Amino acid sequence: MKGKMYILGAMLLVGLMLSTGCAKKSVGPGDGTAGSATGTGYMGQEAETQRQAREAREAEALRERQLAEQRRAEAEAARNRAAGVEQVVQEIQDARIYFNFDSFELSAEARTILQKKAELLGAHPELNVLIEGHCDERGTEEYNIALGERRAKAAYEFLILLGVDSTRIQIISFGEEYPADPANTETAWAKNRRAEFKIRK
Amino acid sequence: MTMGQVLSINNRHSCVHGIHMTSCRNFLFLFFFAVILFPVRSASAADTLSIDIFGPGQTAVNLYQAAPMFEEKGKGLPEPASSLDDHIRANLAFVPFFNQISAAELLEGGRLTGYRGDDVDFKKLRLGKVDLLLTTGWVAPYGVELRAYEVFTGRLVVGKAYTLAGPDQTGLVATRFCSALMEALTGRGGFFTSRIAFARKTGRIKEVFSVSAVGGNARQETDLKGISTSPAWSVDGRRIVFVHMDGTTHRLGVVRPDQGEVELHGVPGNTCISPAFLPDGKLTVSLNPEGTPNIYRVDETFDIEAPLARSWAIDISPSFDLAGTRMCFVSSRLGNPHIFLKDLRSGETRRITYDGTYNTSPALSPDGKLVAFSRQTDDGHRIFVHELETGRERQVTFGPGNDEEPTWSPDNYFLAFSSSRTGTYKLYVTTRHGDKAKRIPTGQGSATTPAWGPAVSE
Repeated sequence: MKGKMYILGAMLLVGLMLSTGCAKKSVGPGDGTAGSATGTGYMGQEAETQRQAREAREAEALRERQLAEQRRAEAEAARNRAAGVEQVVQEIQDARIYFNFDSFELSAEARTILQKKAELLGAHPELNVLIEGHCDERGTEEYNIALGERRAKAAYEFLILLGVDSTRIQIISFGEEYPADPANTETAWAKNRRAEFKIRK
Repeated sequence: MTMGQVLSINNRHSCVHGIHMTSCRNFLFLFFFAVILFPVRSASAADTLSIDIFGPGQTAVNLYQAAPMFEEKGKGLPEPASSLDDHIRANLAFVPFFNQISAAELLEGGRLTGYRGDDVDFKKLRLGKVDLLLTTGWVAPYGVELRAYEVFTGRLVVGKAYTLAGPDQTGLVATRFCSALMEALTGRGGFFTSRIAFARKTGRIKEVFSVSAVGGNARQETDLKGISTSPAWSVDGRRIVFVHMDGTTHRLGVVRPDQGEVELHGVPGNTCISPAFLPDGKLTVSLNPEGTPNIYRVDETFDIEAPLARSWAIDISPSFDLAGTRMCFVSSRLGNPHIFLKDLRSGETRRITYDGTYNTSPALSPDGKLVAFSRQTDDGHRIFVHELETGRERQVTFGPGNDEEPTWSPDNYFLAFSSSRTGTYKLYVTTRHGDKAKRIPTGQGSATTPAWGPAVSE
């Protein structure tokens, strides 16, 4: 009965220690009362050391797993970013803007396209852009070089207005030299009166 | 021209027909021996009339080019004979007031008894309504005498003798002779001996070429890849300036054809359009460092020296008269492209074109009197000639397709231009009167932006 009381007391003490979160390893008052259990105390310390070592190993393993995971995540992010840039480059390059005959006025559609480009360029400060001005073949050659310049310049100025740094944009006019569609039709001419955007990293 | 009319001959040519030829190339050895032939009839006052190529209209001159003959009777013609004959015929086909008569239209098949005036029965030719007779007499395997006679009077208009260094010189001899003939008839030479620079495009590559006005002796002036275009000559013919575009940049190019040198120069701004030389050798070009393309005079280092035409809009395509006192150019300062004229002494600028909404590529005649330009019409671009003194305008080309980019010959008479009439842009020649356009052979690819060079002195 007395022994049971001791055990109960020890359990209470352990419970108290646990409940107060006290990590103190100093021998408590109850230890003295368990004088006959000195052998068990030694055994407990050894177990504790092993447990600590195990926990340390586990923590180490966890850290390694986390690191590996982080590395994987980073690599994937980089891959995603690269794919993202590719996509952005493609998005900027694919969307051309079109003009009316003998005009360099930006249409509402052209402005929308340029807005998107400005956003993309804003998110990717590492990208620079070359704006090419093109014309259909109906005008005369020299005037078309000038008109192509006006078209590229109109897009350039709109992008600057939207906050793209002017040093990131270069323009060139090709006049009527490089038609997108060499056919001699209204449809082809409409496709040829354009500004193209080429990314330069 | 009817038989009763007197074919024009300049007095200075009616006596002694010794015109000196100098060799223009080292490989060419042209001997000239004076062919002193006196006119059958002395020139009267009425004979001093010239063919007025600048008059309001023209009469055609019926020209008969007789078959070549060989001095040594019975022998076959020397090797270069047929080639020379063909070259002369092809050259003269460029002159719109020559109406070439075929041998079949004449009595006895147009056969002559000799190639010298004394041996020719002009009466027979008169019956055939021939105004001008050309004879070719071969005196040696590489020696030839070429003569042109006014049939009505039997007078010699031009007589020249040449010795060829080889069979490949027939083109050159034909050019020299035709040039002398033109000079004698109209008082103006230079058409046959001047060259036209132009841009030739095959695939995505455009290079500057030059060719004689009748299409011979083509020469590639640039080999830069990319786009080389808009050539213009210096007045002395020793430099050709042009625009070059690679993938990202415009640059100004200068060719020195004599030396085979090509230079490329960066310019202020990022756009380089329509360079042109002033008669004093200074360079002008349209650049955009101030925001829009303006015309500037640039210095030797291609820096801006002074603006010549500046506005909020496009100012391009300067063209000057030979005196350097007038410049015509294109400006869109009023919304649409129109032709303007600037007096370079007073600085005053006035608008030239009021019709149409797209008037571009002006060319001021060397004498400063006429502006040729292309106007977009409902049928495509057409060349018009605007007389500055009266303001009268006349359409001189009639398509089909687009007729663009006129350029004046040094004599203010011929106009070369580019046209898409066959589907591909090629070069053609007409006159200020709008004579039937004739194609200039330029080889493969499209040919655009012709620029007529100065007359080459003989």
